[in-house]
Amino acid sequence: MSPVPREVTLPAGAPPTQATEAAAPAARPARAPRRAANELTFKLDQATVAAYAGSEPDWLTADRQTAFGRYETQPVESNQLYTTYVDLRTANLADVVAWDAAVPSAATAASGASLPSGAAGLAAIAENRVEGVILDDESRAAGVILDTVAGVLARDPELARRLLAEPSSLPDDDKLAQLTRAAWNQGLVLHVPAGIRLERPIVLRWQAGEPGRALLTRTIIDLGEGASASVVEELLPSTGAGGRTAAQALFTGSLEIHLAAGAELAVASIQDLAEGTVAFQHRQAEIGESATLRWALAQLGGRLVRSRVDNRLSGDRSSVEQVEIVFGANDQLFDLTSNTRHIGRDTTGNLLSKAALLDATRSYMKGLIIIEPTAIGTDSFLGEFGMNLSKQARAVAIPSLEIDQPDCRRAMHSSAVGPIDETQMFYLESRGISPEDARKFIVLGFLEPVVARVPLVAAQDRLRELLESKWDAGALAEPAVTAPAA
Amino acid sequence: MTATRDLVADQREQFAFHDDIDYLAQTKRGLSRSTVEEISAFKNEPDWMLQYRLRAYDHFMKRAMPTWTDGLDRINFDNIVYYRKPSEREEKSWDDVPDKIKQTFERLGIPEAERKFLAGVGAQYDSEVVYHSVKEELTKLGVVFMGTDQALIEYPEIFRKHFGTVVPAEDNKFSALNAAVWSGGSFVYVPKGVEVPLPLQAYFRINGENTGQFERTLIVVDEGAKVHYIEGCTAPIYATESLHVAVVEVVALPGSKVRYTTIQNWSNDVYNLVTKRAHAYENSTVEWIDANTGSRKTVKYPSIYLRGENATADIISVAVAGKGQHQDTGAKAVHLAPNTRSRIVSKSVSKDGGRATYRGHLKVSPGATNVVASVRCDALMLDDISRSDTYPYIDIQEDDTTMTHEATVGKVSAEQVFYLMSRGLTENEATNLIVQGFLEVFTKELPMEYAIEFNRLVKLEMEGSLG
Repeated sequence: MSPVPREVTLPAGAPPTQATEAAAPAARPARAPRRAANELTFKLDQATVAAYAGSEPDWLTADRQTAFGRYETQPVESNQLYTTYVDLRTANLADVVAWDAAVPSAATAASGASLPSGAAGLAAIAENRVEGVILDDESRAAGVILDTVAGVLARDPELARRLLAEPSSLPDDDKLAQLTRAAWNQGLVLHVPAGIRLERPIVLRWQAGEPGRALLTRTIIDLGEGASASVVEELLPSTGAGGRTAAQALFTGSLEIHLAAGAELAVASIQDLAEGTVAFQHRQAEIGESATLRWALAQLGGRLVRSRVDNRLSGDRSSVEQVEIVFGANDQLFDLTSNTRHIGRDTTGNLLSKAALLDATRSYMKGLIIIEPTAIGTDSFLGEFGMNLSKQARAVAIPSLEIDQPDCRRAMHSSAVGPIDETQMFYLESRGISPEDARKFIVLGFLEPVVARVPLVAAQDRLRELLESKWDAGALAEPAVTAPAA
Repeated sequence: MTATRDLVADQREQFAFHDDIDYLAQTKRGLSRSTVEEISAFKNEPDWMLQYRLRAYDHFMKRAMPTWTDGLDRINFDNIVYYRKPSEREEKSWDDVPDKIKQTFERLGIPEAERKFLAGVGAQYDSEVVYHSVKEELTKLGVVFMGTDQALIEYPEIFRKHFGTVVPAEDNKFSALNAAVWSGGSFVYVPKGVEVPLPLQAYFRINGENTGQFERTLIVVDEGAKVHYIEGCTAPIYATESLHVAVVEVVALPGSKVRYTTIQNWSNDVYNLVTKRAHAYENSTVEWIDANTGSRKTVKYPSIYLRGENATADIISVAVAGKGQHQDTGAKAVHLAPNTRSRIVSKSVSKDGGRATYRGHLKVSPGATNVVASVRCDALMLDDISRSDTYPYIDIQEDDTTMTHEATVGKVSAEQVFYLMSRGLTENEATNLIVQGFLEVFTKELPMEYAIEFNRLVKLEMEGSLG
């Protein structure tokens, strides 16, 4: 009989969740400083929050204080399903300091920012500076508001209060969301009145990454009944942004979306922050009756990205479509959660996440579909697909379902992880394409669903370029393509 | 049609009874170091086992109660008898078994089943194996099939070599509890190259209010050998809470094939918390066929660690959650070696406010190249007061893994029910039939008698929905 080796580093345990957490750190070479995987090194204190109070109305100060209380008591990961797949150890934020709050009188349209061709508006903020807020005359005349939070506070305090103090617009049980809510220092608001349909997209541009600095932001999009809009969100490195080896920077951003009955919104986001930047993103949408939300999210940059999307389909016949891609290199970690809650009748959720992972990238794709007892006639799909392009890459998929109402049109998820398809390679190579190019085409094709959904042509082209250059950089660094066995 | 009607009759009576047994020895209610020492002394165990139990007890006491599944905090560990011994010695033949216990088994149909095709019977009455027979044929083949307590004494080397290697005491809080107070269970050893021609089976029962059942099963299948082990549980119904904490370890050595089939039907007051795990070495195949219809709460994820190249894992997990029940079940496949394969199929039915949860883990570790894995979970909900959850964890750390996963949740289609009713079935019969069809992926893997028994259990569950 062959000897039975003792169990040493094997993950084990009745809970599928608990075991890997205990085993994983031991298996890796020791790193200094050694921290718990869920320890947030960024420190926020009461004094920082209180310092914002001087220039703000009391209700806003109270909102920050409530959020600060939750920030102090809530865990980084509030869902026990996911506690083993949290890892903030590559975020070294102990010395990172938040920028001061935006000065209310910050100039609009002051600096060099200009309206991109084909866009109806642009709001650009770089670190602690408002680079410009521009809205074309037509939209302005229709009553559309695109402004900094400071600007909206000055021009329409009631609207500002309704949008900023809405208690349920960010998850209460999430430490990082409450961090943003307590300590945001820049904010943007897009308000489209009822019945107004914006044909051309609005561009929201954030630039961050200054070593040692934290840019914490809230963005609120509010669409009245029957309104429609499309938004391109760009998250870019600022001029002073640091790379992998620099002192780290922190960017946190919310996107709080309110869609009234019949409203339609498309959001395309291109995240290409520098690799010295840690990003925490929280997007939450309240989707009203017959309203539609379309997400196209591209995650490329950042050292560690932790993102959470909460789609709340509260209105009857509301729908959400979400497509998210990850293209990682080096040792980036993308920790992405999508929660879709079906509340109204006959709601539709269609979510797709795809990750292509080079080098030692990790991607944690967590998805949860919740169908509440009231949600009769739900159609919900969640797909999570991974492509590991290196032996060090790690793809985790946790597509979960919690269902209280069986009277569904559809409730399912699927997930697959696989290598590059040999038959596709063969086909392309038989057309005279080199193996290197064939691999590239297949991977970029895998990620194309998001690119095609970016509403602005210039932004679409730029995303293609970003993906391609990231591929080329990764392919150069990697050893030659493995030849098929002879 | 008439056959269908007969089966729908309420047969719960048959499975729900309680005999007054004079217990010869039992520990005091509650758990302490001295309880553990007492159990070990009752059994005249070697010192290493006592020390193992005490270490496990210490770990159990300091390990936090898991919170990722709810309701475990309702277990009152102080109100449980951890060890009961219904008779003084192991019985060698059916005739020597005390009458009252015999009646219990007769109602369960053991002698009949044995007459038909069974290779061996291990029957657990409360916390001790009381009856155990191994057919001469198996003895000749060198197959060992006996109570785990007996194996500790009679086969000390092989026992000690494997005991606790697959599920260490420190694995989780409940494996620690089992390691501290275990008693009974089956031990199977199949020597090299031996194929056991018929399934080995053991019946388990909990009897006695608030009796803990902490059996420990160890199955070692040597190179090239083959065995099918079946366990089925029924239990009398009581109002207060019972606890069943078992550990099952399977060692599938190179080239072997093991199938382990469970039909779990504890009464609806039992907390059923089981750690089941197999190690699969080169070219071996391990199959868990696992069904859960009973208990108040079951927490069980049969696992297979694919440790040798070319090993295969196959898990079929079925759960039926009725009123007041939570079936928190699933499966785990951990790929640690190249060219390994796994397949997980899970089917769950929830009804009358019951909750069925699938929790699974599929992991491909670095170095496990060329893995092929699939996971499929389907859930059927019979009404809108029930709940169904699916929590699959998929963690892939190789670049050439082929993994697919799919899950669906749905209800019984009105068209199917209408069609069957137009053929003369009542609505309940029609639903029964559809549920049975949904679970057939499981039933078709069972020996015929078990398939019939399982379909009866499902019907009993469905009957409850009328009452």
